[in-house]
Amino acid sequence: MTATVRGMAPAASLRSTPLDAESREWLESLRAHGAVRDQAIARLHALLLRAARFEAARRRAALPHVRAGELEDVAQEAAADALMSVIRRIDDFRGASRFTTWAYKFALLEAAVKLRKRAWQGREVPLEPESWGAFAAGGLGPADEVEQRELLGTVQLAVAEGLTPHQRRVLVALALNGVPIDVLAERLGTTRGALYKTLHDARRKLRRELEARGVPLDRLEER
Amino acid sequence: MTERDPAELLARLLGPAGPEVGCDECFEELDRYVELELAGEDADAALPGLRAHLEGCPACREEHESLRALAGGEPPA
Repeated sequence: MTATVRGMAPAASLRSTPLDAESREWLESLRAHGAVRDQAIARLHALLLRAARFEAARRRAALPHVRAGELEDVAQEAAADALMSVIRRIDDFRGASRFTTWAYKFALLEAAVKLRKRAWQGREVPLEPESWGAFAAGGLGPADEVEQRELLGTVQLAVAEGLTPHQRRVLVALALNGVPIDVLAERLGTTRGALYKTLHDARRKLRRELEARGVPLDRLEER
Repeated sequence: MTERDPAELLARLLGPAGPEVGCDECFEELDRYVELELAGEDADAALPGLRAHLEGCPACREEHESLRALAGGEPPA
């Protein structure tokens, strides 16, 4: 699970750090048997449900069409799925953070992924460039406006001519049309990690294409 | 549709200029990164490439913001 995009050395995931007392108690009780373990799992579920509800609350404003009861259902599902993940991966926890912070991230991920998918449920995922026209800098003088139009034209050409069809679809959907990566991964039958790798490769290739076409990226990215 | 700045378009299309980790490694290290941040330590020096990934990946960025808020004791919104 430590695939890197540019061959960077995986961070010190095998590092083992002395555990704080609370984290040690979590591990010991979750690895125990009988009532101690049952109680620890119940506590863990409550912790994960709190995190999933936290994520649902953060996204509530962006989901006005979703009923409160449905958000609670999503939080419950996310907590249940996160509980399975935490139990399955308990031996991966090496004390690089508090146990609760480590566990929270599983619930936040599950809830975020489910809510992104819920937000896009029934919506077509745009894979073609339909948003180019939305980009235009306001308040420019005529010379700058011409320069901006030329830049946009060059970017469109570089995307159209410099990328493979798959790279183009992924770049356009994610970076131009704002499709969430989990939603696109599900529609294309792939994983978030694999899709980000494609996005990363497309971005590098586009960067080279634009440089080859004389676009001063250094100057533009400093603005 | 609201007009958007071409500079924003370029940033979204090109992503971070420097080396970055992938989504899987980001997830693996996110808890450590957040706790270093909350402790006021140099999380970027400890975990190079993670900040760049957060800049390039909106989904991981959202999850980072949520974890930092939750672990830091902030209210949900």
